[in-house]
Amino acid sequence: MVDVLEAIKGRRSVREFRDGRIPDDHLMTVLEAAIWAPSGSNAQPWEFVVVRSRDTIEKIKLFSPGLFGDPDALVVLCVNKERVKGRGPKELVAVMDIAMAAQNMMLAAYSLGIGSCPIASFNKTAVKELLNIPEHVDPILMVSLGYPEKWPEPPRRRPLEEVVHHEKY
Amino acid sequence: MRNIKDLIQDEHFKLLTFLITSARGCVDEPHLYGPLRLVDAASKLIKIMKQEGKTVDELDRILAMIEEKKHLVMYDEKEFIKFLDELVAELVKIVKSA
Repeated sequence: MVDVLEAIKGRRSVREFRDGRIPDDHLMTVLEAAIWAPSGSNAQPWEFVVVRSRDTIEKIKLFSPGLFGDPDALVVLCVNKERVKGRGPKELVAVMDIAMAAQNMMLAAYSLGIGSCPIASFNKTAVKELLNIPEHVDPILMVSLGYPEKWPEPPRRRPLEEVVHHEKY
Repeated sequence: MRNIKDLIQDEHFKLLTFLITSARGCVDEPHLYGPLRLVDAASKLIKIMKQEGKTVDELDRILAMIEEKKHLVMYDEKEFIKFLDELVAELVKIVKSA
């Protein structure tokens, strides 16, 4: 396990994977990290569809232009709309909850030497159909997981001085 | 007629689904993802041509350029556009030499 800040700074979006099966317990650790993310009103609106079948991953790839490489596993992060019903304008908050769960997953993955990439560019209707996802559950994001062919160089970050505004904008 | 299982493993079919899915995706995605999808499709097409023994060294070089630089779109917009210009220049060389 690595230090949190080290994981935050070291994580990269990995788009080339080498062969290698992620042990089940490591995958469960990654998923457990997801469920410990914060969520608005503690709604925990997430559902995670874990796909490891090569055949199914190949089918999903057909409808996912943003999915690069051959990951060992895919996690489709979904919002269960039943869990946010009657809670006011919660759709956007639920999407943020998913994003926070995804970040937890990717940091946990990195700490285990597993590469990951968040993917929003996929056809939601197609993936919903392929994975038998029910009507009241919407796929929002996918995270690909696998052992990196290489860890990409860090992209440029906007400096703190540019993005942090003290006391007022 | 081929069966469906064969069809979904066919590289032409994979390219077809990529193109149609990308067409829908491009409606909502950042505008530079359009060019990214097109060069990614070009890369897939060159790979098919390779399998069919239809490439030449110059085309292999274009494939290598795409694979090396397509992700620039995520990090450096200016360099990505420069890379697209380089690709066109490489293609012109091929056509001119014919």
